Amino acid sequence: MAQPVRYLLVGASHAALSALQAIRMHDPDGSLTMITRDDALPYSPTVLPYVVSGRSQPARVALKDESWLASQRVELRRGRTVTAVDTTDCSVRLDDGSVLGWEKLLLATGADPIVPQVPGLAGVKFHVLRRLTDAVALRDAVAGTREAIVLGAGLIGMHAAENLVKAGVGVTIVEMQPRVLAGYFDAEASALIETTFTDAGVCLRLGRRAAAVAAAGERIQVRLDDDSELVADLLLVATGVTPVLDYLAGSGIATDRGVLVDDCMRTSAAGVWAAGDVAQARDFYAADPGARIINGILPDAVEQGRVAGQSMAGDPGLRPYEGGVPLNTYTYFDQQAVSVGRQDCGATVRSEAGAGRYLRIVMDADRLTGIFGINSPFDPGVMWEIIQRRIDLGPVRAAFLADPQRAARGVMSRTWR
Amino acid sequence: MNAVPQPQAQTESRVLVCDGNEAAAWAVALARVDMVAVYPITPQSSLVEYLAKFVADGRLNAEIVDVEGEHSVLSVLQGAALAGARTYTGTCGPGLAFMFEPYLRTPGLRLPIVMSIVTRDTLTPQSVWGGHQDAMSVRETGWIQLYCESVQEVLDTTIMAYRIAEHRNVMLPVNVCHDGNYLSFGAARVELPAPAEVDRFLPPPAVHWHAALDPERPMAVDPLTGGAGGPGPAMFVRYRKGHCAAMQNALSVIESVHADWHRIIGRRHPALVEPYRMEGADFALVTIGSMSGAAKDAVDAARERGLAVGLVRVKTYRPFPVQALVRALDGVRAIGVVDRSVSFGWNCGPLYQDVLTALQSAAARPATLSFIGGLAGADLTIGHFERAIALTRAQAREGRSGGVIWLNEEDR
Amino acid sequence: MPAYNTIAFRPELCNGCGDCMRTCAEVKTGSADSANARIQISADGDTLALALCRQCGDPKCVANCPAAALDKRLADGVIAWDGSKCVNCLLCTVGCAYGGIVYNAAAQHVVKCDTCAGDPACVRVCSTGALRYLTTARIYNEVGDLEDLFAPGLSGCQGCNTELVMRHALRRIGPDTVLATPPGCIPGMGSVGYNGQTGTKVPVFHPLLTNTASMLTGIRRQYRRLGRKVHAVALAGDGGAADVGFQSLSGAAERGEEILFICVDNEGYMNTGMQRSSCTPFGAWTSTTPVGERGRGKTQHAKNLPVIMMMHNCEYVATASTGFMEDLYAKLDRALAASERGFAYLHIYSPCTTGWRFPSQDNIEVARKAVESDFVLLWEFTPAAGLQLTRDVSHPVSISEYLRVLGKFRHLDDAEVHEIEAAVERNRQFITGLAQGQHPAMARLAADRADDTGARS
Repeated sequence: MAQPVRYLLVGASHAALSALQAIRMHDPDGSLTMITRDDALPYSPTVLPYVVSGRSQPARVALKDESWLASQRVELRRGRTVTAVDTTDCSVRLDDGSVLGWEKLLLATGADPIVPQVPGLAGVKFHVLRRLTDAVALRDAVAGTREAIVLGAGLIGMHAAENLVKAGVGVTIVEMQPRVLAGYFDAEASALIETTFTDAGVCLRLGRRAAAVAAAGERIQVRLDDDSELVADLLLVATGVTPVLDYLAGSGIATDRGVLVDDCMRTSAAGVWAAGDVAQARDFYAADPGARIINGILPDAVEQGRVAGQSMAGDPGLRPYEGGVPLNTYTYFDQQAVSVGRQDCGATVRSEAGAGRYLRIVMDADRLTGIFGINSPFDPGVMWEIIQRRIDLGPVRAAFLADPQRAARGVMSRTWR
Repeated sequence: MNAVPQPQAQTESRVLVCDGNEAAAWAVALARVDMVAVYPITPQSSLVEYLAKFVADGRLNAEIVDVEGEHSVLSVLQGAALAGARTYTGTCGPGLAFMFEPYLRTPGLRLPIVMSIVTRDTLTPQSVWGGHQDAMSVRETGWIQLYCESVQEVLDTTIMAYRIAEHRNVMLPVNVCHDGNYLSFGAARVELPAPAEVDRFLPPPAVHWHAALDPERPMAVDPLTGGAGGPGPAMFVRYRKGHCAAMQNALSVIESVHADWHRIIGRRHPALVEPYRMEGADFALVTIGSMSGAAKDAVDAARERGLAVGLVRVKTYRPFPVQALVRALDGVRAIGVVDRSVSFGWNCGPLYQDVLTALQSAAARPATLSFIGGLAGADLTIGHFERAIALTRAQAREGRSGGVIWLNEEDR
Repeated sequence: MPAYNTIAFRPELCNGCGDCMRTCAEVKTGSADSANARIQISADGDTLALALCRQCGDPKCVANCPAAALDKRLADGVIAWDGSKCVNCLLCTVGCAYGGIVYNAAAQHVVKCDTCAGDPACVRVCSTGALRYLTTARIYNEVGDLEDLFAPGLSGCQGCNTELVMRHALRRIGPDTVLATPPGCIPGMGSVGYNGQTGTKVPVFHPLLTNTASMLTGIRRQYRRLGRKVHAVALAGDGGAADVGFQSLSGAAERGEEILFICVDNEGYMNTGMQRSSCTPFGAWTSTTPVGERGRGKTQHAKNLPVIMMMHNCEYVATASTGFMEDLYAKLDRALAASERGFAYLHIYSPCTTGWRFPSQDNIEVARKAVESDFVLLWEFTPAAGLQLTRDVSHPVSISEYLRVLGKFRHLDDAEVHEIEAAVERNRQFITGLAQGQHPAMARLAADRADDTGARS
């Protein structure tokens, strides 16, 4: 085994890049290798729906280019997968059989699509959307498609459905929850979004699941649990994602649904950190500081990556992770939906919907715990800060409820400007 | 004050009549000093006036810094010396006292500054007249001190002082002491050496001092040194011992410099001590400074009367020339030491103390007697010295030591 | 990495006119609808809040962008938005805690400030000075690569302001310098070193506490005589300048010696245990003006040394503070240039975390408050221009806001605080009067005389 690298980052998306930048702030010279299973330069899974729609060119989605990586003294190994981690002799094994030693290891391998156990699914050609190659394949497939079925009404499914319908494809979305985007928005917001999609011609099959899938010539036949049947040229499975953990088997690194980490993103193994969609970390809202969740959102991956990087480099300026807060933005048919925080950790103190607008504010006593809007102007980053700082909004409560953007900017000016 | 004579452009040696203050100023000009810092004080004032005039007339190509007090006088020169300059100033009495803080530091910095002390008695009682009390009060601070007898010796010694101070084995500041009133204002015939000859005797200053402030070779001058533990204590000792060694080195350097002066300029001055009519002397006076002239006259007269008396004048007072003095006094049975100042704790003259100490290394133990006179401008006449000779002779006969005689006590 | 300029907002000077927003909208969209401005100033109760891109150094908006549409430009530090890459996902807005990048309905994408290529229109139209385009970064970019001429590891107290002053000053003055650091904190932290080792990369020495300006006189004059350009610079404390060192300082100033004398005023003898100096302000606790049964701290006001130095008609005299580094650097430049012609005196107020008793992380804040409360005033003097204030003194924050931060004033009662307030006000009037070329006391005298005449007739 060659000289171990000081820092080995497995993964090359937001969490790994954020960690890399935090490491370089404190340790400009330590040797650093980054491994990605993709052949492409680092990119974000979040951009993939836009690759499908053609808005983003695959050649222009790289988050960092070669010269930047060189300037940061990063050795990027593309197209390589880590198959095993040995925490005893501090090494990883790669899919080409080579072994690479490390002093500090970051697991930022993200998540893979969940493919549901539906009879017949394995026997047909279906799409998922997690990697750049998936996006290109899906984009290319749209051209010859008249009708499409999307399994799952999460962000990926909804984005894809919008792209498909805009491309002139007839789209049916099958979702087992009774509403779309259930993990992100409340029922009222979902209803507004559903209306927009329905108006655009998308067929929504809510509260339904696929019972069986079969090939029908060139086409694909999907039977739902109410025995209704759908036939389409294209099937997209977008029923969620799950952390990539298989390579950790036998490593001794503690996992639950994801890799369990403390507030410095340290795993149970010395010298090993995890961040991003693969990590299961503190829940901002949980009373129990030991509670661990997979937040699985981009801004949180950035935050966890920063914490991990600072911790790996021994940066004394490290501010520990304060726990995941759900943060989502969703733009659909020129509408803007934003959700910051949780709906179920307080009482709704303002809620209004109508005329394509929606706003809901949830507070626990005088502390903001969540704010949700569609086409409703407020600054999500400022709200995140207010939630995370647990700012007492008592003195400005009325003003905040009346005009949250203005009042929050006031709080910002008085507190952290 | 007399008008300063306009010196002619001088190429040859020449003779002029001047007082000791002017003679010192001529020496500074001949020594091609870079920087002079001045602050006037009686009886030194005319000296710095001559210097200012020489600079104004282009006679002396030096920076002249008119500072706001003696403390700054020496401080300016310290800075200049640390930048490689040859420097000069003069002071006395209260001026020396005010200067004491940088004065005390100069030898430790090993800066070859030459400073005249136009000696003056110290306050109090309030006094503006001559006496060695000022110079004697700083005798243990590590400066070299040379005491002159004549105006000519003031001029010659002031130039020689630079060779001594700048010598690689010495690197210490020098006080050239000349008596307030008697030498500062007493005019005499003086031979001014030719500048080319002086240049041959005294080359430009070689910047080989260990402490320097030059951006081309940055160093810290005077880091904190000492304390308990670490390298500090041994380092501090090394500095102190180096200073002591330089003082001892100065004895031979002073002698060789005086020999060079004789060889190049043609005039001989005693380097350490001057034995006068000591051949077959049964007893002797020890003197210092301008009083020696009258004392020598008294010795001459006593010899006329058949008394076996001699005289030893101390020229180099710090470092104290122990061996030269003991050798000069070898064989006498009694010694009368005439001081122009007082050592209060010992209630005798300071030179007397030094002679006593030196005699510890002598084979015989002559009788000794301390005379104190010439304080605060008082004259020491032939009559005073005749009395000293008589009392010393009596001491020799009785073979006992001790006691102090205040020579001007009975003056009316 | 270079440092960058930035737009700063002082809400206390904002009158809410809205010109900035209208102008921004006009420049960026062609119509003056404030809603489309990249700068938004809104009132929330008494608070004027600024929503504007701070052009952060480590921007989260950029980290959050999945499409590489945002980029922190190395050249000018502006966070640039590339519309051809943006996918309108709004994740950037989640990353910004300043309302600096927001979705704009008219544009149908996020918008943010681009500083108008270094000449922001909003700042240009701001008539009250509430918006300023800070070019402090210039200092860093100009001197950041210059060598720090003090050794690392000087043993100053934690948060020492004087160390900051020293390092900044010498870095700018450069290596062709002989530096004098009289006894005090500066050599105390090791600038002249210990036992044969030095803490400075230029020739440096300990003068006596008393003779700094005189020793520098000799050094400078000798180098001038040799035809060499060597700066003679002092970094002295207030004790070595205002008290025992004052005679030599005054002498050198009167003679117009070509010296740059920097007095680092920490209002006492802090190195030796926090004793009183003549620069210690009224009421301050020091170890020789202790507070006890009868003691109430120092019973006299501070000597105004910079004013005294001004009266020497020096080539240049200025006061400065590390709370205002751009001003300090500008004055340092002018002082250094002036020291080639004559005596230059720079008086830098330097809060002492140890001696003044405040938390070590608050040093710059204390320095800033001292100035903002007019407790100390920033001005400069040249013989040609006279005294000029370099910072507005007409809107001070309250003195008690400054005093209450400092442990050395904690014992003060209301009367004593009023005494200080009155002294600060007198000094403000005095200096302002000098700046206007007219002493206010003289003006009052003239007015009184006129009244008397009127009464008699």
